[in-house]
Amino acid sequence: MNELGLLFTIPSLTALLSLFIKKTAITGKLCALAAWLQLALVISVLLPILTGHSTSISFAPGLIVDKLGSYFILLTTFVVACALTHADYFFQAQAVIGEPYKDSRLKLFYAVVNIFLMAMTSVFLCDSLGYLWIAIEATTLSSAPLVYFERNKHALEATWKYLIVCSVGIAFALLGTVFIFAASQRSDLGSGTLNVSELIVSAKTLSFPLLRLGFIFCLLGYGTKAGIFPLHSWLPDAHSEAPAPASAMLSGSLLNCALFGIWKASTVITAAKPEAPAFHLVAVMGALTVVAASIFIIRQHNLKRLWAYSSIENVGLMVFAIGLGSGPLFFLQALNHSLAKVSLFLISGNIVQAAGTKKLSKLHGLLENSPFWAGALALASLAVAGAPPFGSFMTEMSLLTLSLGHKYYILAALINVALAVSFLGILAHTGKVIFGAGKPDFKVFSERRAALVPMLLVASTLAIGLLVNYESR
Amino acid sequence: MSIETNTGEILKNSGTFLASLIILPPLTIGILRKTKARFQNRIGAPLLQPFFDLAKLLQKNETVSEHASWLFRIAPCINLTVMLLLSLLIPWTSLTAIPHGIISADLFLIIYLLGLARFFTVLAALDTGSAFGGFGASREVTLALLVEPAVMLCLACLGVRAGTSDLSQVFSYEATRLTGQYGLWFLAGCGLFLSSLVELSRMPADDPTTHLELTMVHEAMILENSAANLALAEIGHYIKVALLLGLSWQCFMHCLPSHLLSDWTARAIASTGGIISLALFIALIESLAVKLRWTKLPEFIAYAVAMAIFSYLIALSV
Amino acid sequence: MQLSTFEALAMLSAVLGILILGTTLLRTNLSFYRFHTLAIVALTVWIGHITKEAHLYIVAAAVLLVKVLFIPSFLGWVMKKAEVGSDKQAFIAAPLSMHLGAIMLGVSYLLSSRIPGLEGVHQEGSHLGSTAAMSILFTGVLLMLTRRAALSQILGFLVIENGIYLFAVTQTHGMPMLVEMGLLLEVLVGVMISGLLLFNIKKSFEHIDVSQLTDLKD
Repeated sequence: MNELGLLFTIPSLTALLSLFIKKTAITGKLCALAAWLQLALVISVLLPILTGHSTSISFAPGLIVDKLGSYFILLTTFVVACALTHADYFFQAQAVIGEPYKDSRLKLFYAVVNIFLMAMTSVFLCDSLGYLWIAIEATTLSSAPLVYFERNKHALEATWKYLIVCSVGIAFALLGTVFIFAASQRSDLGSGTLNVSELIVSAKTLSFPLLRLGFIFCLLGYGTKAGIFPLHSWLPDAHSEAPAPASAMLSGSLLNCALFGIWKASTVITAAKPEAPAFHLVAVMGALTVVAASIFIIRQHNLKRLWAYSSIENVGLMVFAIGLGSGPLFFLQALNHSLAKVSLFLISGNIVQAAGTKKLSKLHGLLENSPFWAGALALASLAVAGAPPFGSFMTEMSLLTLSLGHKYYILAALINVALAVSFLGILAHTGKVIFGAGKPDFKVFSERRAALVPMLLVASTLAIGLLVNYESR
Repeated sequence: MSIETNTGEILKNSGTFLASLIILPPLTIGILRKTKARFQNRIGAPLLQPFFDLAKLLQKNETVSEHASWLFRIAPCINLTVMLLLSLLIPWTSLTAIPHGIISADLFLIIYLLGLARFFTVLAALDTGSAFGGFGASREVTLALLVEPAVMLCLACLGVRAGTSDLSQVFSYEATRLTGQYGLWFLAGCGLFLSSLVELSRMPADDPTTHLELTMVHEAMILENSAANLALAEIGHYIKVALLLGLSWQCFMHCLPSHLLSDWTARAIASTGGIISLALFIALIESLAVKLRWTKLPEFIAYAVAMAIFSYLIALSV
Repeated sequence: MQLSTFEALAMLSAVLGILILGTTLLRTNLSFYRFHTLAIVALTVWIGHITKEAHLYIVAAAVLLVKVLFIPSFLGWVMKKAEVGSDKQAFIAAPLSMHLGAIMLGVSYLLSSRIPGLEGVHQEGSHLGSTAAMSILFTGVLLMLTRRAALSQILGFLVIENGIYLFAVTQTHGMPMLVEMGLLLEVLVGVMISGLLLFNIKKSFEHIDVSQLTDLKD
């Protein structure tokens, strides 16, 4: 219990402080520092799991963190720390280059980011599906102000869609949770439980029709939040209208939360019936999402929406990994995607800020304007698209190999084609941004510092691709 | 059904029925108007004013438009005749006016008799050739078109459930397949009451006191009638009010626990009291609500139809 | 077969829910929502009475406080401040959508008797509880699909949430209390955030017609 409190101390204190500190420049540095401190704290709390001494830590009934969960907490905190470090630069640059944001808005931004971090951390601590639902809905509510940051018509529209679509989607996940609970009450468990660890143990005795219904609703509900194909409409809007650090967090950590919900629900149904037909739906939806996203990527006109659709594509891959029942691959895909995509959103944020437009047709000649940024953008987009030495390539490779083992031949072929299409699409779009004549009104502020965090992230995904031994997983 | 042979029973029944047919309709209207007046902080006309009005009208000389044909003069008679016939058929009080088995109170017969009365009223309104009669008739027919399905469905779902289209059997107080179907009775009652508000040209659909051409519906149709002709039309309308309110009240009465209503006297009192209390309720509505805009009326009638659909669903499922 | 109190209350809440669809006057919508939720509260209390689960009373009281008393009043206040009265030009005319809702009630009756595992736990063999819950879900979805005003969207979400709550109450012996309370808090915060957003939509667009929010597309 004490450790649980400890995990939330730093963000809650920082959230409070950022509302009261007058100078937002100080707040920005404080928040970044606090996030890195939080990362250190998280590592120290979760050390027994990370070193392999224990498989799970139980904080309270319904709050158990397992190996996968603890890796995800680390990733989330890392992403937020990177985004906040960059945010400090980003808002300073905005003050120099363009119209500075109001102090009150920045204060709210920093406070909300800390609440958002707490909500996301608690998602991975949940063993109870009920708490999980509450935590995921909390991430929606706490990230809505981040999307509405710009306070203009487009931001308003994006926020409204985000809030309504996700709330309704998540409501259906709640329905699924209710069904799973009802299934548990018609089993050996008697009075019923929502704790995944208990559900898995007595999975065979659960009322299967109810469980199946519950799982399908959870998949659709959390799938809406994760942006799987027919339910993704809110995602490009929200990701493109939020300010760059917020987009990075939405894409790099929020999506993982929703996918973690699908993963939790899927562990129960696979424990009940390993070859349940309903479970095949997951892999199919994942593959469909990849295919659909690759088509959207080709015909993009907006830099940030391009990355948003690339996120949808990666979500499809992660859902596919869940559909194969492979937790490690799910995490590795999430890890590589988060690192590369955060880097991309941050560097794109700089480019958009300097050029004053998000339109792909008006962005060109980055190499001439700012070689550092061009390099970072090129490397990061290669990493996201899944070029060989990077981590994404390795996970995609093992994912496809594994899917052949599960006899998903058609899906594997579809994904293969879609990945190739989106690879070409992303490279073509970034190529146009990087090459060509430079823009005369391109305002670069502190070029090297701006590229620092993105470069760091790209380097780490490269390291993962080179160092991690995929065969052993 | 066997024909009742107890003469005393028949006399008691028929006598009470006749008395309530003569007294209740104008009295209901009187009470309604009085209550409305009290709500508006007026003293209002005496309760028996409708009787006096009718007496006054019957003494007056009649003025008939020179364009009017015989239809205009005969329509109120037909209207009144149909209403009197309906009062025997519709189980609007808990009394059986005529012994069972002599005539079947088929629900479709009742609905088409109501239609017949409306048909002649509308013809008479068109007959004089005045603009008011014309638009009143057109509005009346539009409303009837919308509200008739609701009435039909409400009655039909009771009939479907009871397995007969004879309303005197549906509404009888003997044990039938409808006994204890409180939900069905209640919803059907709500549906019938909402549609009666429209049928009787009461407030949300039509303002019975207005003479403004923008808002009149029923009043516009009988604007040309005078003296005895008007009196007949009014009596017909009064009876219709009592009949339809009585019919909806009978539905609500079936929601009450049956042991309360096993007694003949209790049923008679409850029926009379029910009609009067519905009249009071209408007075309350008319004091609080305003007349709906003509274009909003379908929305209101939709609620009656929805009630009918609900009760139909229940009739089919339970 | 007679309707038991449980079934009657469940049906009442479903019917009151469907009546929300019947008008485009937002104030009337809100009062129907209030009564509809009140019926659900009564049902919760009744189930608490049958099953002797004391925590259901607490949940019922909390729902009463938040969803019957606070949220409709808050939305009424938002409505007044934003100066919107009715939801003009719904995609499907209100009467028609109400009749659709009534038909969906019939459909949910058929569905809930076909889908295995949906017979309620409190009433032997009766699936009217899940019928009502499913019909309320459909009502909420209809409300969100056929209406254009932002406030109706919020209301639709609330109705959907009520349907899910009814599922939880009728299909289980009560969800864990902490979960119920957390859920209620989320709804409360969600409604307040979207209420505030609604102000801003009114301020920047001068209408609250969400079907006209189509600037963002590919």
